[in-house]
Amino acid sequence: MAQEGIEVGRRGALNAPAPAASANPPDSVLDAGPGVAHGRLPVRRSRWGQGKSSLLALFVLIGVASIVLMLHALTESPHIGGRWHIDAQGHIELAAASDPLLRPHVGQALSGVLGADDRLTPIDPLALQRTPRWVLHDDERERQLASQAALAAAFASGTVRLIFSNGDTVELRPAARGLSGIPIAVWLLCALALAVWTLAAFEPLRHATARNAIYAVMGVCQSVNLLLIAAETALEFGLPAPFARWSMPLHMAFDLFTAAAMLHASCVHPRRLPGAGWIALAGWSVVLALLLAWNLGLLPNAWWLTQGTVIALLAIGIGLLSWSYRIEPHPFAIVLRQFGIVTFSTWSLLTLAMAAADGLRSVPHNIADTGAMVWYVYFAALLLLVPFLVRSQNVLHEFALLAAVGTVAISLYLLFVAVPGLAQLPALTLSLFVSLGVYSAARQWILSQLTGGNLLSTERMFEQLYRIAREVEARPERSAVLLSQLLGELFDPLETKADELRTRRSRVAGDGSSMLVPLPELGSAETPLTHSILLRFAQRGRRLFTIEDARLTDRVVEQLRRAVHYDRAVEQGRHEERLRLAQDLHDDIGARLLTLMYKAQSPEMEDYVRHTLQDLKTLTRGLAASNHRLSHAAGEWKADLAHRLAAAHVELSWQCEFDVDIQLTVVHWSALTRILRELVSNAIAHSQAQTLEIDFKLVDDRLELTITDDGTGHDPRAWSHGLGLGGVRKRVKQLGGEVEWREVQPHGISCRVVIRELSARWQL
Amino acid sequence: MAVKVLIVEDNPVARSFLTRVVKESFSDTLLISEAGDLESARRQIGPIRNGDAAVDPFKLILVDLELPDGNGMELLAELGQYPATKIVTTLYSDDDHLFPALQCGADGYLLKEDRFEVLVEELQKIVRGQPPLSPAIARRLLTHFRSGTGGVGGGGGAAAEAPPIASGFQSSRSMPLGRGAPLDHERLTPRESEVLTYLSKGFTIKEIASLMGIKWFTVNDHIKSIYKKLNVSSRAEAAVLASKQGLV
Repeated sequence: MAQEGIEVGRRGALNAPAPAASANPPDSVLDAGPGVAHGRLPVRRSRWGQGKSSLLALFVLIGVASIVLMLHALTESPHIGGRWHIDAQGHIELAAASDPLLRPHVGQALSGVLGADDRLTPIDPLALQRTPRWVLHDDERERQLASQAALAAAFASGTVRLIFSNGDTVELRPAARGLSGIPIAVWLLCALALAVWTLAAFEPLRHATARNAIYAVMGVCQSVNLLLIAAETALEFGLPAPFARWSMPLHMAFDLFTAAAMLHASCVHPRRLPGAGWIALAGWSVVLALLLAWNLGLLPNAWWLTQGTVIALLAIGIGLLSWSYRIEPHPFAIVLRQFGIVTFSTWSLLTLAMAAADGLRSVPHNIADTGAMVWYVYFAALLLLVPFLVRSQNVLHEFALLAAVGTVAISLYLLFVAVPGLAQLPALTLSLFVSLGVYSAARQWILSQLTGGNLLSTERMFEQLYRIAREVEARPERSAVLLSQLLGELFDPLETKADELRTRRSRVAGDGSSMLVPLPELGSAETPLTHSILLRFAQRGRRLFTIEDARLTDRVVEQLRRAVHYDRAVEQGRHEERLRLAQDLHDDIGARLLTLMYKAQSPEMEDYVRHTLQDLKTLTRGLAASNHRLSHAAGEWKADLAHRLAAAHVELSWQCEFDVDIQLTVVHWSALTRILRELVSNAIAHSQAQTLEIDFKLVDDRLELTITDDGTGHDPRAWSHGLGLGGVRKRVKQLGGEVEWREVQPHGISCRVVIRELSARWQL
Repeated sequence: MAVKVLIVEDNPVARSFLTRVVKESFSDTLLISEAGDLESARRQIGPIRNGDAAVDPFKLILVDLELPDGNGMELLAELGQYPATKIVTTLYSDDDHLFPALQCGADGYLLKEDRFEVLVEELQKIVRGQPPLSPAIARRLLTHFRSGTGGVGGGGGAAAEAPPIASGFQSSRSMPLGRGAPLDHERLTPRESEVLTYLSKGFTIKEIASLMGIKWFTVNDHIKSIYKKLNVSSRAEAAVLASKQGLV
């Protein structure tokens, strides 16, 4: 089955093997053009060839020709200049007249029409109802059809005589209606029908898939429905014979087909359900059987049957969409289900209101026509907008507005007109106002229901953006993960994964269920294995990705890239500045200190200058380098201390142990370097030790440094803490640690430095 | 016959200090020449021909890296085949400065801030063939040889280990030289790698000897051999380096 192939192809595309994605672009109209929207792969463009353009043109031409023909037939139809309505007693009353002959009779009830052949057609209120589709009872419909046919014959005969209930008779010659006799509503309905027709032809031509075919079926049915309604709106008395005969079966068939197509669509979209083929087949069979049986005259109560079948099919469709969402949380299922529910409830309400108003004399005669027409217009708008859902959140919002206001307005209108004593115009006005009120009150709720809201606040987004920019700058290899995090916060998708698909800009795919975001070049050294990030099911599957989301994402990614580049440039600048400073310090001050050291008068002075020089070197090295790996630093410490202790004839016992080979920041490195050097210098200078034991341990972020000598020092509390030991205290404190000195047995001093959370002050 | 020594150093105080160090280090009769810049050093050395140099060449040359008219490395690179013990004297103890100097053919280095006795001892060791090797330089050497810098990839040694931003001032940029695969004498033996690894962790020669179960002078032989290999492997690269450094 064709749909099977499509489904597999589409899933393939989502699961992202690159060639599959370009070979099988997500396809249906209900998919609402993921690629078409803006992916515009060359493959896809080339598919839309010359042949398709001319086919589409042909379809549009057919549509235009049909409308022109219909309008021509309408302008030619015989017409008398009067407006009619039904009075409280259920009689047809002349409400207004443009014909001077009729004008004296305004306010009189019409009792019959006499044709040229002198056959009297008694007038029934049903004659004013234009469409047999919304006549509830079969026998009434028969009567209406007969009276319409008789009236049409009388009008066609050239002269008619209107007989009023007070006995007056007026003889009129119906004239051709002409273009001016066609109400504006007819033009609007024709335009809408043409739009629906064009889109119905366009979508399957764009991608010839089963789903688009289903859409086309719905579109064609509804556009013809609209045309019929337009024709019926134009004629007030007497439907021409073919019209009257075909109106009911056509309307009925189109409504039933549309319902079956909707059921079919919900089986295969957004995902193909198990047994979809059978369900769809069952739906179509029921509809066809019903039509056949009715045509053969086997079924009574056609109206009730039609309404009931449509309601049932819609209800099943909604159930199927819920099921589909449970299988895979595709947000399109939710959106479709919402629309399904709106359509279902308005249709049911229309049906109920019709049933309730049935038999009430006071009900305006055209409630059926107007109510049904409003519903069809709403449904046509729905059909027109569905393909564009993914284009923009705004369309979605507007659509939500339309659906909500439409539903409430229609329902209220129908309720109000069914209530005795309320005239049509006030009812319409009242229902519109109330529905707008209800909409504004429930706006937020409706919007979040239909589109999902709760995007990250702008402020928080900027905060995130800059935090992540910092982090990416520090660790470019994590940029993919960090970007995924940011996008995750932005859209709250069910699933985020890396993808090797290449894309230049962000793309919405899979009918708005997924979005492919290209990874920006953030300067990580290695060639990335993944080129993009695939987000699926926004807001945990409750929201559709739109093209606006894709553009927003592009901007976010661009900002991130800029922020990272900016940070990097700033860091580069800082680094160069530090280097220059370090070099100057080293070259100028270093050379002077060296001269000073060589010229020193005493060994103490020489040592003092040497220490200063070493401190200067540590300082300049710290300025120049950014980070030091602990293992490297430890090696250098050890070599340096061993060198110095060897010169002083002190044995070094060095223990170094760490669980993680961390990157020491410059602050840590230079502080630890100086602490070690100072403590060792101290031991060399004062302790007269034979051996020095250094134990460096970093476990669980806890640093413990112990330096023990076997020298002659004692009673550390009595020491005057000069420049050296004061410096040690200061640096330990700077790292957030503690230092203590104590005597050890049999003799010597042990100094212990403990820093509990070494990394806590990493950003010193 | 007097042993000829050249000390290239721009700071007169440092120069006389180094002269004292040299005099203290050797019992031979010394003929010490001094030069304050590269130009006068070149003049004193005279024309360098391939293979054998002047009739009575210098036996020991001490070169400061920072000189008024250029970098000491330029001179070292020019003296590639010169039959003298060439020693870098510098205040810079970091590998970013020392490693290129060693690549240029230095046989060892002295840190000018060290005490007189320490300098004397170090100088004697170098001349005896026991050059120093700091952990940082050992690390650089390991990277240098591991990444096959002797051959393809050229400057990988310096560049690969630390990205430019993290390296020290005057980062030693180098460029691939497009040479062939490394020759045998440009590769480290496993023993040599082991010695380097220990050195990079800060172990002393004595400790390494006991860890590896060999004599300390064997360790020393390995270090000497590493020096030689570095020198051979990067002579061409060093020339480029030196000229670059000179421009900085």
